[in-house]
Amino acid sequence: MKYMILALASQVDYDALVGKPGSAWTAEDFAALRRFMTDLNEDLTESGELVETRGLAAPVHSRRLRLRDGVPVVTDGPYAETEEVLAGYWIVECASFDRATEIAARIVDGPGPDSDRENYVVDVRPLVDSADDHLAD
Amino acid sequence: MPPTEDLLRELAPRVLGAVVRRYGHFDTAEDAAQEALLAAATQWPRDGVPDNPLGWLVTVASRRLTDLLRNEQARQRREDTVARWTRTSAAADSTTDDTLILLFLCCHPALSPASQIALTLRAVGGLTTAEIARAFLVPEATMTRRITRAKKAVKDSGTPFAMPADHASRLGAVLHVLYLVFTEGYAATSGPDLHRLELSAEAIRLTRILHRLLPADQEVIGLLALMLLTDARRPARTGPVGELVPLEEQDRSRWHADAIAEGIALISDALPRGATGPYQLQAAIAAVHAEAATTEDTDWPQIVALYEVLMRVSDGPVVALNHAVAVAMARGPRAGLALLDEVAADERLAADHRPLAVRAHLLERLGDLDAARAAYLAAADLATSLPRQRYLNTRAARLPDRPGHEGVGRRDAGDM
Repeated sequence: MKYMILALASQVDYDALVGKPGSAWTAEDFAALRRFMTDLNEDLTESGELVETRGLAAPVHSRRLRLRDGVPVVTDGPYAETEEVLAGYWIVECASFDRATEIAARIVDGPGPDSDRENYVVDVRPLVDSADDHLAD
Repeated sequence: MPPTEDLLRELAPRVLGAVVRRYGHFDTAEDAAQEALLAAATQWPRDGVPDNPLGWLVTVASRRLTDLLRNEQARQRREDTVARWTRTSAAADSTTDDTLILLFLCCHPALSPASQIALTLRAVGGLTTAEIARAFLVPEATMTRRITRAKKAVKDSGTPFAMPADHASRLGAVLHVLYLVFTEGYAATSGPDLHRLELSAEAIRLTRILHRLLPADQEVIGLLALMLLTDARRPARTGPVGELVPLEEQDRSRWHADAIAEGIALISDALPRGATGPYQLQAAIAAVHAEAATTEDTDWPQIVALYEVLMRVSDGPVVALNHAVAVAMARGPRAGLALLDEVAADERLAADHRPLAVRAHLLERLGDLDAARAAYLAAADLATSLPRQRYLNTRAARLPDRPGHEGVGRRDAGDM
């Protein structure tokens, strides 16, 4: 069964990650995070559980669309600075929700300055991916 | 069992397993799976069995789980509480059969044996709470509370849906639960009916499944053989009006030959291989009984020897009691009575009618009829099942008044 693991972050978190003034992230922290992500993805590839993983560009680049008077209207950068939005995801195929949760637990325990780590948020959501989800009426 | 019910009972643990694997929430998922089974039990006989019965059940159970979780979460939000739990150990296990994982979950060490039994019958056996309550002669509300608490305890333990790392050492608890279900069905400890057939049949069915999943495990084979060999005697174990017939007086032609053949084949195959556990030894003893045409033909020295091995691996007073009976059969009632004094002193048997019943039998065989009568009556007072009370009182009444008269008590070569 497939699960999506979503890592959430705000624009403020993105700014900190790239080392904007006031950021707690040192060069070492950043290097550790890169190593962590590489190792994680290698492990998940090795175990055959990784279907896909992607990181998303900073929230400021987002466009939100809504219908207004029947016309699609675009809002650029719709999120507040501190609003937690999707920052990256993994699609994993694994034995159980518990196993997917275990992978998510490794992600939420990733490296970073202690001041930031307690704010990490990771969600795990089962994907609807097979006929048995839709079979019966 | 109607075909649909058969199919549903077989699919029950697989539905629950599939839902818990995918979505977690053991306790709520169990309710959802039961509701799906209930829906199938009413719809399938009317509309026909769907092409993919398991898929149908998993889908319906998953939808029901979604509804139940939304209700729960809405209530939690009103009460301003959030469900938080701490993840426990690894769970990268997709190869183990869901039914096996469920058995271990239901026999979780955090639960009492009574709760383990109830949860196993519901989650693995697919019995409804009402059926389980009826089988154990408790009010349905009591059983509902027991099962609800058990499910919550399993969920709150955070145990992932996977084979436990210590599964080898926890298999004993699983076997014990299956054995208790069987004995509860075979020798009902209370109430008017001596046999509660469904529980014994259910225990055998579940043990067969366990044997299929762990074909190499010797104790699983031993337990299955023990159940088959014991259950084979069922038709001869009660008389025309439901009264209890002891082993020595049973009409052995009424024993189930198929079950005996299967039990003997299983245990004969298992015994030469590897370490011998208590279930294999008990099955071996039952096999010796099954192979004899009468009590007299029984290889009692062999049974005594098997009990002596059994006493070394399991410290139960009932084993020692049975050993004393076997010794009495092999070497005469005096030898049995000598051992019985020691066994009866075990305080675990203080409220048990069996030491007194055995004493009564042995005294009868010795010809000490007054003492035998008193022991039968005292044993009847302690017995909890009505058929057993009736049996013991009848034995007391059947004793002749004057000592020396040739009564129903048999005399062995050892008596002379």
